[in-house]
Amino acid sequence: MVTDLNLDLDRGSVLGLLGVNGAGKSTTLRMIVGLLAPSSGQVLIGGADLREEPAAARRLGYLPELAPLHAELRVEEYLAFCARLRGLRGVSSTQAIDRVVERCGLGDVRRRLLGHLSKGFQQRAGIAQAIVHAPELIVLDEPASGLDPRQAAQIRALIRELGQEHAVILSTHLLPDVQACCERVAILHEGTLRYDGPRQALGDDLEAIFLRVVSGGEAAVAA
Amino acid sequence: MSLVIARNELRRLFVQPLAWALLAAVLGVLAYFFLLTLQGFLGLMPKIAGNAAAPGVTDLVALPLMRAIASVLLLVVPLLGMRTFAGDRAALPLLLTSGLSDARIVVGKYISLVVFFALLILVALAMPLSLEVGTALDLGRLAASAFGLMLFAAALAALALWASALAQQPAVAAGVALVLNLLLWMLDAGARYEGVTSEFVNYLALPTHLEPFLHGIVSTVDVVYFVLLAMVALALATRRLSASRVRG
Repeated sequence: MVTDLNLDLDRGSVLGLLGVNGAGKSTTLRMIVGLLAPSSGQVLIGGADLREEPAAARRLGYLPELAPLHAELRVEEYLAFCARLRGLRGVSSTQAIDRVVERCGLGDVRRRLLGHLSKGFQQRAGIAQAIVHAPELIVLDEPASGLDPRQAAQIRALIRELGQEHAVILSTHLLPDVQACCERVAILHEGTLRYDGPRQALGDDLEAIFLRVVSGGEAAVAA
Repeated sequence: MSLVIARNELRRLFVQPLAWALLAAVLGVLAYFFLLTLQGFLGLMPKIAGNAAAPGVTDLVALPLMRAIASVLLLVVPLLGMRTFAGDRAALPLLLTSGLSDARIVVGKYISLVVFFALLILVALAMPLSLEVGTALDLGRLAASAFGLMLFAAALAALALWASALAQQPAVAAGVALVLNLLLWMLDAGARYEGVTSEFVNYLALPTHLEPFLHGIVSTVDVVYFVLLAMVALALATRRLSASRVRG
């Protein structure tokens, strides 16, 4: 259950949706990508409502909490399918695949089966799938959870890089994710938005502020 | 776009052992059955050789095999169809957020099932066709039977896909599809046993519409029945998929 949520995001910025487990982060993201219809209100992607123009979904890329991989396929076969699914074919598809393989560091494993890859590589393949068609908006649900510190750092660097050209929303309960990648932070608690603003305004002690918000003190943090 | 999904589903199917194992097991069982009926026919041949009105090799070998294929399909289609949605929940967001309509996603997955079973039927058909080397078969009747079996498989595949869209677990989907199949298979027999001979119940049952094909009769009523059954099941599956976007 998520209520009174109002967010907007421009290209070239990374928004971190922060909250404890069960705060409504995944629900919010599922509404943004059209997996769940909001009972009231609307989601506009570049001005298009997904319910009226389903094809506008091609303008976004989505990585759910569990990467939607086809474990029995090779990395490049899977990415080729993802590219075709979003309407890329021929040379533009091959180029797009080469680009994301390089960008996500999948070069050494591109002929291996997805099911045989480590969690870190699977997560990268999940991100590759979300960006292969160069979408305007990239939505990542807990991209770094369950990864070791080194893998998490690599994923964060990749997200920062993506944030330079695309609009990126990522949900997380890990404060380092926010610290490393996001210029903007939205704190979600019990289905309502408790803070929305630049990360810098929160100062260095993000943890203290976050804990104060989720322990139910102030409705909003004085920025 | 449905074809992109269908091709990918077929690729996923054939890089895994399940499809090959099912093909091998089914063809093995059918081959055994075929050899048994052939042996029976050879034993019978001296007795019926002089009788011009006696049934031929098409009746005594090819058609029993066709019936056996139909029975096997009742069991095998749910087994293969169960994974289409229920076994693929984790990867489903990829399709659902691709901008394709739910109907196209359903049709894409459906095509892959139909192609698989068409393939199975064609390979099984090679067994009776091999008799053409030594004797004359009623090829028209065989063609009608094969066509009927494919429609039959297409309808069962749609039912299995619907069950798979409803269930969270593939095993549940297989169970639901199997029960649906058997119900539709025995519906008219059960009614007759109870002394009810209803045109409507007969119309609903699968054998009512499969038998004419096996006798070489291709009638529109039967074709329409299978197509209608498939379309209703696919529409229900599409609805289930769309409902998941509202209810979560």
